[in-house]
Amino acid sequence: MHELTKKFGDFIAVDHITFQVKKGEIFGFLGANGAGKTTAMKMMCGLLRPSSGIATIAGYDLKTQSKQIKKRIGYMSQKFSLYNDLSVTENMQLYGTIYGVKPAALQVRIRESLKDLGMEKYADKLVGAIPLGWKQKLAFATALLHKPDIVFLDEPTSGVDPIVRREFWDRIYKTASTGVTIFVTTHYMDEAEYCERICIMSNGKVMMIGTPTQIKTDIGVDSIEAVFSKFVKR
Amino acid sequence: MRVILMLIKKEFLQVMRNPLLRSILIIAPLVQFLLFPFTADYEIKHVNIAFIDHDRSSTTQAIIQEYLSSPYFIGHGILASNDQAQEMMLHDKIDFVIEFPVDFEKNLMNRQKTGLAITANAINSVKAGIGTAYVQEVIANYMDELASAMPPEQNRQAQIFASNVFWFNEQMNYKNLIVPGILVILVTLIGAYVTALNIVREKELGTIEQINVTPIKRWQFIVGKMIPFLILGMMEFIVGLILMKLVFGITVQGSVSLLLGITAIYLLAMLGLGFFISSVSENQLQAMFIVFFLFIVFVLLSGLFTPTEGMPDWAIKLNYLNPLSFYMDVIKSIVLKGGTLQDVKTQIIALSCMAVIIDTAAILSYQESSK
Repeated sequence: MHELTKKFGDFIAVDHITFQVKKGEIFGFLGANGAGKTTAMKMMCGLLRPSSGIATIAGYDLKTQSKQIKKRIGYMSQKFSLYNDLSVTENMQLYGTIYGVKPAALQVRIRESLKDLGMEKYADKLVGAIPLGWKQKLAFATALLHKPDIVFLDEPTSGVDPIVRREFWDRIYKTASTGVTIFVTTHYMDEAEYCERICIMSNGKVMMIGTPTQIKTDIGVDSIEAVFSKFVKR
Repeated sequence: MRVILMLIKKEFLQVMRNPLLRSILIIAPLVQFLLFPFTADYEIKHVNIAFIDHDRSSTTQAIIQEYLSSPYFIGHGILASNDQAQEMMLHDKIDFVIEFPVDFEKNLMNRQKTGLAITANAINSVKAGIGTAYVQEVIANYMDELASAMPPEQNRQAQIFASNVFWFNEQMNYKNLIVPGILVILVTLIGAYVTALNIVREKELGTIEQINVTPIKRWQFIVGKMIPFLILGMMEFIVGLILMKLVFGITVQGSVSLLLGITAIYLLAMLGLGFFISSVSENQLQAMFIVFFLFIVFVLLSGLFTPTEGMPDWAIKLNYLNPLSFYMDVIKSIVLKGGTLQDVKTQIIALSCMAVIIDTAAILSYQESSK
């Protein structure tokens, strides 16, 4: 990621951001609302075209090879965006098929993934009828069906209760341990501590990058929350 | 191919599970067919009529009797004065007043010029216009009878017979005109309205974003949306044809397969329009306004409710851009007149060109909005 920028008219949402993420890393994007986290993520997923700058994702160039990138990434948006009027299985079938997973393999993966989530009882339920915590886990599992190299999670735990959040992070760790790179945005400070490295954004700019411990030491405070409030106050 | 089939399956599952859409698709054609033709009827019945008779002769009595025996008129008696007539008309009690002058009968018999005054309440101009025609027809009929009863030497003036034969719609039954019009409205609504709302809804819910991060190809997405709505539109059209036969006994005079083929072309244009509108709208409300606006313009220009011949030149020219107008021509031609491929060739070419242009615009606009 080098000098990536997104302008909406005169407004610079993402201002020349530069960083690198290692394979299999859990990389956290931190920032207040409107800091540019989601915009940056949408550019990386190919939903928005960068105004300038270059980026290489999963070994492909963002500008010229977005089709290849799309095949190699998974994305879970801030707003729950699976189809509420399709059942759990139908949603997974739809997305698995769009990603080109072969029918036989897809069937096995759906079964395994539902078993893993403990969601077998919901398999034929309409997604709209299941609790939010389950929806989030389902969205995550669906984003992983095609075995992507990188998963982008945009505030995956907003609005769910602490227990589900904890479970969700267990799942993130488990996924990362299989070599999948996790790129996650959040505004929960405690979640930042779970990341291997974090990037703090404010007004579209990268303020700091490093491991949570490193950043705390550099600033001389004992929590990410303190780090964060320092930046936001500036 | 698997992707397309999956998308079609998804769309059908969603339509079947969406109670609002389901009822629109099922109830709309029923209501339109069962209600609309009876309300949008140009035929005038129950014309309220009153008379002022200054002559009080057997001729005027006979003419009045003609009116009262007609099923179209309701008599409100013989009035004493013009003032009374005006009063009744003001209160909408009567639609027409017929005033016979003094010596009406005498002048008539002596072959002198005579006249009678017909006053119409023109607040409802359609009723006034058509009513006037009825009123005159009754008089004309009476004059004919009178003339043929007279000895030939007295019948000096040549009689002019104005006889009306309405071709293709012999009973001048307005249902024949309105019902095919409803078919057009039905297909247009399914095509443009339902498609636009469907896609904008995905935009609002954010589900389209989830689709956009997948490696799905643009044409796959568009075809995956168009095929299901094309099928639904065709199904609605066929249901419409069946209702048209069952309820009104109107059968397609021409080739049904030709009609279906042209309907498919028209639907493709309308689906493209819906697609295009969904690209330029942010939410369902905006999409609804745009569709509604275009729909009204298309319908008014098309000549469904008013004949195009009476429109100013620029409006007639504007109709060359109106797909609904061409499709209406096709429906009228094939359904009512038994038109063949040769008869609707121009319309097919026009509709095909429009479909290509609109669909291209739709694809390009989707390309723009997805980045």
